[in-house]
Amino acid sequence: MSRLLLLLALAALAATSLAPLGALALEARPGDLFQLFEERHLTLLRRTLVFGLSVAALAFALGFPFGFLVARTDLPGAGVLRVLGVAPLLIPTLLLAMVWVALVDWSGPVASVWVMGLGLFPLVSLYTARAAERIDGRMEQAARLAGGLPAVLRADLGLLLPPACAGAALAFTFAINDFAVTDYVSSVGRKFNVYADEVFNNARDFRFGSAPADGEAPSGSAAVLSGTPLVLLAGVALALALNLRRRGAMRTVGSRFEAPTPIPLGRWRWPAFAFAAAVVLVTAVLPIGRLLFEAGGGLEWKYETLQAAFGSAFERAREDLTRSLIFAFWAATGATAVGLVVGHAIERARHPRWARLGELAVLLPIAAPPTLFAVGCLLFWQRQATDHLLHSNYMPAFLYGGHLAPFAILIVTGAVAGLRVELEQSAQLSGAPAWQRLLRIAAPNLAGALAGAWLLVFCFALRELDLSLVIAEANRTAIVRVFNGVHFGRDEYVAALSLLLVFAILAPGLIWTLMTRRRLEVLP
Amino acid sequence: MLSSLLRLGPALFARTEPSARAGHQRPWGPRLHRSAALLLAGAILSGCLSSEEPDLVVYVVMDQIHSEDIIRRFEEETGLNVDASYDVEANKTIGFVSRLRAEAQAPRCDVFWNNEPAHTMALAEEGLFEAYRSPNAEDIPAHFKDAEGRWTGFAARARCLIVNTDETPAERRPTGLMDLVDPAFAGTGSFARPLTGSTLTHMAVLYTQLGAEPARAFARKLVELNEADQLDLPSGNGPLMTQVGRGEIAWGWTDTDDFNVGLRKGYPVERVFADQGEGELGTLVFPNTVSIVKGGPHSDNARRFVDFMLSHQIEQMLAEGDSAQIPTRDSIPRPETVPSFEGVDVMQVDWVEVAAVLDEVHGELKEIFLQ
Repeated sequence: MSRLLLLLALAALAATSLAPLGALALEARPGDLFQLFEERHLTLLRRTLVFGLSVAALAFALGFPFGFLVARTDLPGAGVLRVLGVAPLLIPTLLLAMVWVALVDWSGPVASVWVMGLGLFPLVSLYTARAAERIDGRMEQAARLAGGLPAVLRADLGLLLPPACAGAALAFTFAINDFAVTDYVSSVGRKFNVYADEVFNNARDFRFGSAPADGEAPSGSAAVLSGTPLVLLAGVALALALNLRRRGAMRTVGSRFEAPTPIPLGRWRWPAFAFAAAVVLVTAVLPIGRLLFEAGGGLEWKYETLQAAFGSAFERAREDLTRSLIFAFWAATGATAVGLVVGHAIERARHPRWARLGELAVLLPIAAPPTLFAVGCLLFWQRQATDHLLHSNYMPAFLYGGHLAPFAILIVTGAVAGLRVELEQSAQLSGAPAWQRLLRIAAPNLAGALAGAWLLVFCFALRELDLSLVIAEANRTAIVRVFNGVHFGRDEYVAALSLLLVFAILAPGLIWTLMTRRRLEVLP
Repeated sequence: MLSSLLRLGPALFARTEPSARAGHQRPWGPRLHRSAALLLAGAILSGCLSSEEPDLVVYVVMDQIHSEDIIRRFEEETGLNVDASYDVEANKTIGFVSRLRAEAQAPRCDVFWNNEPAHTMALAEEGLFEAYRSPNAEDIPAHFKDAEGRWTGFAARARCLIVNTDETPAERRPTGLMDLVDPAFAGTGSFARPLTGSTLTHMAVLYTQLGAEPARAFARKLVELNEADQLDLPSGNGPLMTQVGRGEIAWGWTDTDDFNVGLRKGYPVERVFADQGEGELGTLVFPNTVSIVKGGPHSDNARRFVDFMLSHQIEQMLAEGDSAQIPTRDSIPRPETVPSFEGVDVMQVDWVEVAAVLDEVHGELKEIFLQ
C-alpha cells in the first residue's frame, strides 16, 4: 500500500469522519455524566432499546424468509419480487410514515415499529439472499442424502443466520437513531418519545460561537453526553455485525464451489408466493401507489392535479434536487475513494488485530446519532480559519461523505478479502509500486464493489435527513423540503416531491445499467 | 438499479474466499475513462450550483413554501441575485438566531425575516440590527414597529383553534386555552408538542402571562392527559390541522396559516379565536418582522428589500396566499377568509421578556414532554 495514498485517505477520513467525533469528545465533561442516570433518560433509553429490538425483529421476520425464498427457491416471479423488495430501503422512512398514517389507524409504538421494520427489512433480506446464493451445492447434496430436505434446511439455516443477524443489527442501528418517524406517527394517541428525540432537542440548544448575554459560553457537554448511550448501543450492534461477518465468512465457497440448485417448494409454492408478494405489496407497491394517489388529489384524483403537483414540485424544488444530487455525488465519490484505500489497507494489514481495531474505529461515525455527528462537524469546523468552508456548498458533501464513508470501507474490505493476494504479490515482484498495484491491479478487480459502495453512499446521502436538518448549508436539499412539506400539510406537493426524490435515488442505478449493461458484482 | 443494489448490501458484511476472484481482471483503461466521465459529469453538475456572488443575503424564518415566491418576485423586480436561506421546521427560529449571534463579528446576512417577534427583539437588544425606518412602513400601526427602528412588523399570524365541525356539535365547541384540560372536553382536544415553532413560543408566552408555576402545571397536565389518552400531541401544527381536518381529532390549537390550508383543502373546519371574554388572555398574534443586520455586506440592497417587504403589495400577497397572513394595515384588501384584528381581543405580550425566557422554557418543556 502506498504510504502517501494511505496518509491522504486517512487524513480525509480523520477530517470528515473522526474529527467531528473528537470535537464532541472534547466538549464533554465527565461531571455531566450523572444526567444519564436520571429516571427520564433511563425510561427513554429502555423504550428506545425495546423499539430498536422490535424493529430488528420485524425486519428479520420479514427479511429472512423473503431473502431465502427469492434467492434459493423456485418461487414464481422471484427475480421481480427480489428487485421490488429493495425499494423500501430507498424510500425515506418519513415518507413511509406519512403513507402508513394515512392508510391505517395505528399510532405510537406499533406504528413506529411497523414503519421502521418495513423500511429496513431489505437489510436482512439482502444479506440473506446473497448468503443463500453462496451456499455450496455439494454441501446441500450431502445434507440431502443424509436427511432429505429437512437436513438441507437445517444446514442452510446455520449458514444464513449470521449474515441475516448482521442485517438485523444494522436495522437496529438505523432504528434507534431515528426520531422523526416516532414523533410523526404518534401525533394521535399517546406520545411515543425515543432517545434520539432527546439528542435532537439537546443539539438545538447548542450556541455555536455565540456571545451570550451573561458572558459565559454555555457548555455543550450535557448535550454531547446525552448521545453517549445511543453511541454505545449502536456500537455494540455494529461490533456484533462485524463479528457475525467474520463468523459467517462464506466458508462454504471454495475453489470448487458449485452453485446450489433451486429448492422446489412443492405445494408450498403458491403460499410462499403469496407471502413474498404480500411483503412487496405492503412495503413497496402500497407506499409508492399511495404517493401517486396523494399527488393526484386523493379521493378526487385527477390527472391534471397530478401534473400540476409534479409541475409545482419540480418548479419549487429543482434547485434543491440539483443540490442534493451534487452533494450526494461528491459524497459518494469521496467516500468510495477513501473506502478503496482504507478498506484495502485494513484487509491487507500485516497485523490483523490492529486492522480489526481500525475497522471498529471507522465504524464510529455511523454509531453516533446523525444529529450529534452534525453538531460535532459544527464544533470542529466553525472556527475562523474554516468558517468559510463551513458555509460553503462543499460542507454538505464533506458531511455526508464523512458520515457514510464507513459503509464504503466495509464494502471494500469485504471485497478485498475475496481478492487473490497473489495477483498483487506478482505485480510487486514485477516492480510495480504500491499505488499502481492498488489502482491497476486491485481497483479493476473491485469495480463491482466500488460501484456498489458509490451507489450505497449516494442513495443514503440523498435520503439523509437528520444531518441535513442541523447543518445550515444542507437545509437546502430535497429531503429537507419533503420534511418541511410534511409538517406544513401540503399533501399533493409533498407526494409529488417525494416521488421525484425516489426517482433521483433510482437515477444513478439506471445510468449505471445503461452505461455498463451489466449488474454490479459486489460479490463474485 | 434495484437489481444492482440487491448485490451491494451483503458486501458490507460478507467476505469471500481468495479463489473466487480468480480470472476477473479487466483492462483498467475503459474503466478509467468511465470514471473520468462520471467525475466530469459531476463537475459539470457542480457548476450548476450558483457560484455567483449574491447581491443580498436573507435569512428567512417563514415557511419556505410561502416565502420563496416573494423572494423570487423581488429578484424579478430588481434584477438582484438573492441568496435566501430558509428555516427548517424542526429548528425554526433557533437555528438562524444562533447563526446571527455566531456571525455577529463578521456578518454574512443582510436581512433577517422572522415570522415571530420574540427572537427578533432579543437580537435587537443585543445590538445586532441597525436602525432603518422604511418610508413604506409609515402607515403600519406603531405597536407593530420598534421605536428605534431596528425591526418592523408586518403580515401577522395568530394562534387559533381549529375545530372539525362534523365532529364537534355547535354547543360543545371549545372557546379557550383551558378547555384543553377541562374534563368536559376529554379525548377531543390537541396541542402540537411545544418543543419548536409557534407552539413553543405560545408556551413561553404563557410562562410570562400566567407565571412560571401555573404554566408549568398546565404543561404537565397536557402530558398527563396524553398519557391517559385524553389529549393528542401532534408533531406540528400542520399534522394537527390535517388530523383535525380528517376528523381523527375533533379540535386543536394551530396557527391561522395552517388553518387556512385546511380550509382550502375543503376540510369541514372552523376557526375560533380563543379566550375572548372579559379578563381572559386574548388571542396571541405574531407579526412577521424584518430587520437589517448591522454590518451586513449589502446594506443598500438590504434597505431596498425591507422597503419591498413592507409595501402594501407584499402584505396583500401574503394575505391572498395559502398562508393567509393577516395584514397589519386595515386598508389592505384581503380575502373573506382572512380576518381583521377589528373586534378581536389581542393578547398584550412583552416579547423581550418572552425572548429572555424562551431557552429556559424550552429546556423545561423538554423535560416535561420528552418522557
